[in-house]
Amino acid sequence: MTATVTSRRRPRLRAATVVRFLVVLVAAAVVFFPVWTSFVSAFLPSGVVVRDGVLPWPGSLTLRNFVAVTASVHLVPQYLVSVAVVTLQTTAQVVTGALAAYALVFPRWRGRALAFGLVLLTLAVPGESIVIPNYELVSAIGLRDTVLGVALPYLAAGYPVFLLRQAFAAVPTEIWEASRLDGAGDLRSLFAIVMPACRPEVTTAVIWSALSAWNGFFWPLLITDSGARTVQVGISQLAASEASDPSVLFAGTVLVVVPTILLVVLAQRLLVNGLARGVLH
Amino acid sequence: MADTTAGTDGARPRSRRRMPATGKWLVLPALLLLLVFVLRPLVRTVELSFHASDIVGNPTRFVGLANYLDLFTDPGFLRVTLVTIVIALLGTGIATSAALGAALLLRRHVLGGGLFAVVFSLPFAYSAASASAVFAGLFAPSVGILNTTLARVGIDGPAWLSDPVAAVWAIALATGWYEFGFAFLVLTAAVRAVPPETIEAAQLDGAGGWRLAARILVPIMRPSIVFLTVTGTISGLQTFAQIQVLTRGGPGGATTTFVFQLFQLAFGNGTPDFGRASVVAVVLVVVIAAVTVVQFRLFGRNDA
Repeated sequence: MTATVTSRRRPRLRAATVVRFLVVLVAAAVVFFPVWTSFVSAFLPSGVVVRDGVLPWPGSLTLRNFVAVTASVHLVPQYLVSVAVVTLQTTAQVVTGALAAYALVFPRWRGRALAFGLVLLTLAVPGESIVIPNYELVSAIGLRDTVLGVALPYLAAGYPVFLLRQAFAAVPTEIWEASRLDGAGDLRSLFAIVMPACRPEVTTAVIWSALSAWNGFFWPLLITDSGARTVQVGISQLAASEASDPSVLFAGTVLVVVPTILLVVLAQRLLVNGLARGVLH
Repeated sequence: MADTTAGTDGARPRSRRRMPATGKWLVLPALLLLLVFVLRPLVRTVELSFHASDIVGNPTRFVGLANYLDLFTDPGFLRVTLVTIVIALLGTGIATSAALGAALLLRRHVLGGGLFAVVFSLPFAYSAASASAVFAGLFAPSVGILNTTLARVGIDGPAWLSDPVAAVWAIALATGWYEFGFAFLVLTAAVRAVPPETIEAAQLDGAGGWRLAARILVPIMRPSIVFLTVTGTISGLQTFAQIQVLTRGGPGGATTTFVFQLFQLAFGNGTPDFGRASVVAVVLVVVIAAVTVVQFRLFGRNDA
């Protein structure tokens, strides 16, 4: 009886495996289509993909589209601006976040719950709804169209504070007390004892801050003209101006997404275990 | 409060008292920045919404609810509200349901599963602006690769960006595609966190394939699904880059969202109107708060 059941089930299971593989393959092809098409088109003369389809003969590979895109918009200086904004914002968000999280976890003080409540409140404020007052302020202090002006409203963010606070709260208080009794100051206890004990969450905070800085669009668009445009603003202007030649546009998108594509390809596991799991706590 | 809790422990309070109580001040950099750049702007936005604007956008005189009445009696604003909500729900629905399917399919052993997982994560590498730029190339009217590819398999693609209904779908597809990457990462983490014993027990009871997914896995993954639905809707209600790159709110206002209208009123080509733009911002805050509450009511408690 059992034998007949297994022998009858096995071929059906194999068929199910093949069907599942084909479904995954089709789904992956659909998801991959925009990535594949944009990368292939970027390295071919314009019109080839439209004429020959999305699996063209790679005989006529060219870098002309990349030359054209760096010439038509200032993608190179924009890249430097984006790197500066990411560096500034990520460093500031992680440092201010770690300092605040430390103060919210280890020392006991009056008003601690209120301070944490204010941080939580900022998490509920939609970012795009508060740009006008920040635009007034940043313009008034003369930082329009500067790297500092792009980064200034985002030197602290609620989420890294929240994430690091949850992580620090799981560190045994005895470890902190021991380091304090050894004569370590608050800063040394934080950077030499607490942060190394929470390395996965610190990594998650760094990746979150860096990605949100790199991907920022609405605010950089508003607060810059041409002096401190980021790549995200640059690529959107390219889409508006080069709509007639997708190959040049695709070359631009390839340049903009290469750093984050590398992050996904090289660290997909880290993203699942860190970022994806982290956001659920 | 601090002393009563510490006092239960005999030796510690004394040793702690000798240490300078400086640690609490470390909260100040983050707290002050958040007060100045998040909470103050929220209050200021409400203040601006009650004022008229001069020619460069600065507030002039208090006009009470006049800006609100202007906007609420404009039938165009009702359309903006509906378009924003439709785009947010479509984009989130596409991303979350497709990612749930992909994460469940890859739970079992599939040939090349690791490679497929990386492919499904790739959209996460794209920002709203860069994904929209890619889709601008795909949707381009005469030289668009999407419609020429669809034509090869016998499908007659719509005029993506010039038809009012297709344009909403175009925005939702671009949004759904780039949000799919993050949703897949989160749901993969969730499906891996399901205890193997639970799955084995269900399989012993004869549940396999779809029944296992529907009755066991999805309920366990519910907090992640709720989290993605809520955060996806919140970011969807703030859709801007896709509109700015793909349609500029058109055709004929068919894809004008809250944030795009805010942008046009405050920073567009006309005279800047911070007063009315701030009304849109206040409405955005209220709608997001309301939708969040409704979704938590519908989909269960806040256990995400």
